[in-house]
Amino acid sequence: MTPGGYFFGVCAVVAVLGALATISARNPIRGAMGLLATIVGIAGMYVQLSAQFLAAIQLIVYAGAVVVLFVFVIMLLGPDAHGADGGKRPGSWARWIAAPLVSVLLLGGAVLLARVSTPQRFRAAPPGHGTIEAVGGDVFGRALVPFELSTALLIVAAVGAIAIARSRATKPSERPASVGATRRLFGGAIHPRDARTVDDEVAR
Amino acid sequence: MNLLFGLSPFLAVGVGALLLMLAEAFGKPNVAPGVETTDAGAGRAGELALGAAVILVIGAVLSVAVWVAGPESLPELTQVAPHLVIDKFTLFFSFTLCVGGALAALLAGGYLPEHGIDRSEFFPLLLLSTVGAMALSAAGDLLTLFVALETMSLGVYSLIGLRRGSPRAAEAALKYFLLGSFAAAIMLFGLALLYGATGHTDLAGIGAAVRSIGSPGSTVSAGKILISLVLVLVGLAFKVSAVPFHQWTPDAYEGAPTPAATYMAVAVKSAAFAVLLRVLLVGFGDERLASWGAGWPPALAVLAVLSMTVANLVAGRQESVKRMLAYSSIAHAGYALVGVVAAMRSPEAVSAVAFYLLAYTVSTAGAFGALILCGSRGAEAVSYEDLAGVGKRHPAAALAFSLFLFSLAGLPPTAGFFGKLYVFRTAIDSGLYTLAILGLVNSVIGAYYYLRVMVYLYMREPAPGAPRAVTMRSGFVATALVAAAIFVLLLGMAPGFTLDMASGAALTAR
Repeated sequence: MTPGGYFFGVCAVVAVLGALATISARNPIRGAMGLLATIVGIAGMYVQLSAQFLAAIQLIVYAGAVVVLFVFVIMLLGPDAHGADGGKRPGSWARWIAAPLVSVLLLGGAVLLARVSTPQRFRAAPPGHGTIEAVGGDVFGRALVPFELSTALLIVAAVGAIAIARSRATKPSERPASVGATRRLFGGAIHPRDARTVDDEVAR
Repeated sequence: MNLLFGLSPFLAVGVGALLLMLAEAFGKPNVAPGVETTDAGAGRAGELALGAAVILVIGAVLSVAVWVAGPESLPELTQVAPHLVIDKFTLFFSFTLCVGGALAALLAGGYLPEHGIDRSEFFPLLLLSTVGAMALSAAGDLLTLFVALETMSLGVYSLIGLRRGSPRAAEAALKYFLLGSFAAAIMLFGLALLYGATGHTDLAGIGAAVRSIGSPGSTVSAGKILISLVLVLVGLAFKVSAVPFHQWTPDAYEGAPTPAATYMAVAVKSAAFAVLLRVLLVGFGDERLASWGAGWPPALAVLAVLSMTVANLVAGRQESVKRMLAYSSIAHAGYALVGVVAAMRSPEAVSAVAFYLLAYTVSTAGAFGALILCGSRGAEAVSYEDLAGVGKRHPAAALAFSLFLFSLAGLPPTAGFFGKLYVFRTAIDSGLYTLAILGLVNSVIGAYYYLRVMVYLYMREPAPGAPRAVTMRSGFVATALVAAAIFVLLLGMAPGFTLDMASGAALTAR
């Protein structure tokens, strides 16, 4: 086995173990740390594919920012936050059967694939492949359309997240909003417009 | 300039979505005095719905304009190929998607204020999701395909969850989101495998690599291609909600606000069919893969038969009209899949599917719209009992509902009749007699539950003391219904023009 093979093996084991920890950990912090391990493992594979820029971005953005954000959210909720069920539910036997079944099927598929097929020979990466210049040239040249389309993806994700996360913004209030600020500051109306509203309120 | 013109349907909807967001953010909320709001779009659902509908109609008109100018006469369009392939197929589908989106926006203009879902984000999300759907129908490259698919899906996931505080809406949104992400992951796995096996991300290159299998010097492995084909089919079958990948559909439609369900039923399904056709015919159009003996046609035929039969049998037993319409949309996916199977032999089948989806879009949007019209705040029409006696209390709503149900059932002189006729005829021409006969039998079964709605509309009276649905009044819903009815009758009585356009939309795959 070449050193590259060992490197790939270590990265793959780290990534898969991290993924398993992410979905199986009961403690959400451990889940986030599992995700971190997966991300680092995949970044290692990117390096081996001579995609250094992508590897760096993967570490900076995902490991550095996204996982930290996850940890923040988990800490805000409390690290002991559990799911609503907490324990065993009736019908959970399906999970015990389904997960190993799917895993075995996938593993069988992978082994079968490795046996029946020779790997596709890609051209050797040209010099400069994976550098910022090469990635930038691809993003703003050859792959401009998908790149521009991903702006729509990001906008729709942001708007959708806000729409879902925000609770109802419009609710009946006890008093008119226009009065509040001036009254709190000056103890009364200082502008005719406010005076009118205050009078209305008094009349009511 | 020509490039901008060729891309104008996409740009109009995309830029329109951004302008609508600005108009929403900087507008003044239109709320009663004494109501506190931080939402600049509060109370302006009507204006925003009108804006969204106008933008989508502009998109549809521009699609027609580019069609008339002829995409082949715009050589600049090759600059965006293969990421976006602007051909007549794409333009036909972008017209369908814009029409479906515009109808859903108009329905939302009446539905959202009536039911107190004062969420102005609905309209930008709808428009951006339509941009994704249009790009999906134009995608000739795996990169665009996946980004467009996610743009469309993310918009729809959030549209479903807009009704905050309703556990059913939360369940619907979460179910669709989790299953949809899972399906997208499966499909992405397939796409990655496809790239690994062929070394291409553009569908044409993949098609060429697939054709080279077996020829001397080819390193493309058939095993990987087959596995990736299965994975991609699973992902797309989920999006078109074909049995057995349909379990999310009734729950998601029932929990979603009805205009969002309309949008899912028409636009998401049409876009998914467009990309399904393009992937199968361009990427997997090899004679060996697209034959009855091996490859995708037998798999899709099984999906088609299962979708038609299971959905029709289950739909007849539903008590909720919304769930019935959800199962009906699954059954219609089955009919359209018959056309996709026939596309392995005749290019005409592609036009049949395109025409079918346009007919299905206007009929389904109309049926959901009529259901919206039959209910009002606190008395939303959901079950069959709610519709009892509407024929007497509100003849116009009942008449519109009946017209769209006729079309869904495939009775002349409506759009649905010609859609079904065209699809089954191409199936017979391609020698798929069993599929065509099964489709006809299923159409008859389907007529049962569509007619059952009409029995309740016209021949039942609400039980004394039972809560009755009160019909709502809304210019937006009425406009949408009239527009959909014109389309249904036009496509049903004078289909020639649209059929010609559809036959121009045939994919030149092989």
